[in-house]
Amino acid sequence: MRPELLVRPSSLAHLWKTLPSLPRDRRYLAGGTDLMIAASHGHAGDCWVDISGLKELRSFRETPSSLFIGSGLTISALAEMPAVKKWLPALALAAPHYASPSLRNMATIGGNAANGSPCADGVCALCSEKASIVLLLKGVKRKLPLPAFFLGPKRTALRKDELILGFEVPKWRHVSAYEKLGPRSYFGISKVSVCVSAEISGGVVKETVISCASVAPVPLMARKAAEFLYGRRLDEGTISEAAALAESEASPITDTRSEAGYRKAMVRVLAARALAKIAAA
Amino acid sequence: MKKNKTESLTAEKGLFTIALTLNGRPAEFRVKPNEFLLDALRAHGWKGTKKGCDTGDCGSCAVMFNGKPELACMIPAVTAHGSVVGTIEGVGTVDRPHPIQEAFVEAGGVQCGFCIPGMVISAKHLLENVPDPSEAEIKKALDGNLCRCTGYVKQIEAVKIASKKLRTRRASK
Repeated sequence: MRPELLVRPSSLAHLWKTLPSLPRDRRYLAGGTDLMIAASHGHAGDCWVDISGLKELRSFRETPSSLFIGSGLTISALAEMPAVKKWLPALALAAPHYASPSLRNMATIGGNAANGSPCADGVCALCSEKASIVLLLKGVKRKLPLPAFFLGPKRTALRKDELILGFEVPKWRHVSAYEKLGPRSYFGISKVSVCVSAEISGGVVKETVISCASVAPVPLMARKAAEFLYGRRLDEGTISEAAALAESEASPITDTRSEAGYRKAMVRVLAARALAKIAAA
Repeated sequence: MKKNKTESLTAEKGLFTIALTLNGRPAEFRVKPNEFLLDALRAHGWKGTKKGCDTGDCGSCAVMFNGKPELACMIPAVTAHGSVVGTIEGVGTVDRPHPIQEAFVEAGGVQCGFCIPGMVISAKHLLENVPDPSEAEIKKALDGNLCRCTGYVKQIEAVKIASKKLRTRRASK
């Protein structure tokens, strides 16, 4: 059922002051696109704390070496930002695959992580951008590498009442590719997604990060495949070997969206496609 | 985006009074804390916005929410306090249809019609930002609006016709 109480704090300071007076089973409401689904299944708490109006969560800052993305920014707002197009190609490429235009206008990047789903397109892209997640609880901040934030399906490192403040993403000269396999070309939840970001220097891979969605209990980092590519040229042989390694790292399940065996095989196909795109870039 | 200080909003007999701008006019709804904008609109007689899946999948409840198409079935009504909402009733009427609505009729893009209000909202937002869209841009703009009758051909044709109509109208002004 949907909760009977909804509160809307005016600032973070007001939020921390209000929380102790609220029912214990409370949930944050940002874009609402996951919470409303949880509500229709009866898992959305007794009280919603609407954080969509908090300016502190919608900041976007650029420094010479990094970007900070506020958790409350919507996917469509991010996709339109010139700094995102320039420095976060993986996120820019993933955006059109993220749900539908109207949902992108509502859904926030923080909520995409907070939901804890291994299929999240925004999270998969940010993982390959080497993002860290910044959490906040009553004035105490902590920072985790984004992949470490996910503990299992729908389980995250968030503590009671802790908020996602945003994401810190380093600036690095890389190219990205985002390959998603869903029920349709667009507007579907992924059966498998593979995102590759790579910095190529003098024809060889200086650094690469490969993240995969929907093929493990958490957003998966294909570390063996990425390590294998270090210092190598991207050619048919190395691409095929890296793609096979990525497949070996995946541990998908069979569910309503796809089958385990098919998903595992598709990790190899999509990883090879993504790497070939990067080689041609 | 304009956000109001809703923290001052208090419930009376379990109902909140929300004030919003609806189709260009001020409106006031009394809503339950657990009510959604879609249900509130329909309960107050604005039935042009359709309730399809009620889970954010089909796009038939798309409305303009603070300048962008959003899904009314996923917006808690209380959070719409102070917002600017546009529904299909604000786009055109039977007597004075909007060129986009005319185009949907001319192209034969309407069968059961349930998805059309949402499609028109999405198409209108597209054409306001991209007056002469490519077919790929039209498909992308409508990809959150599911149709179970026509097969996504006539509606894309309709948006092309609408684009031409609107550009001609603008040029003649």
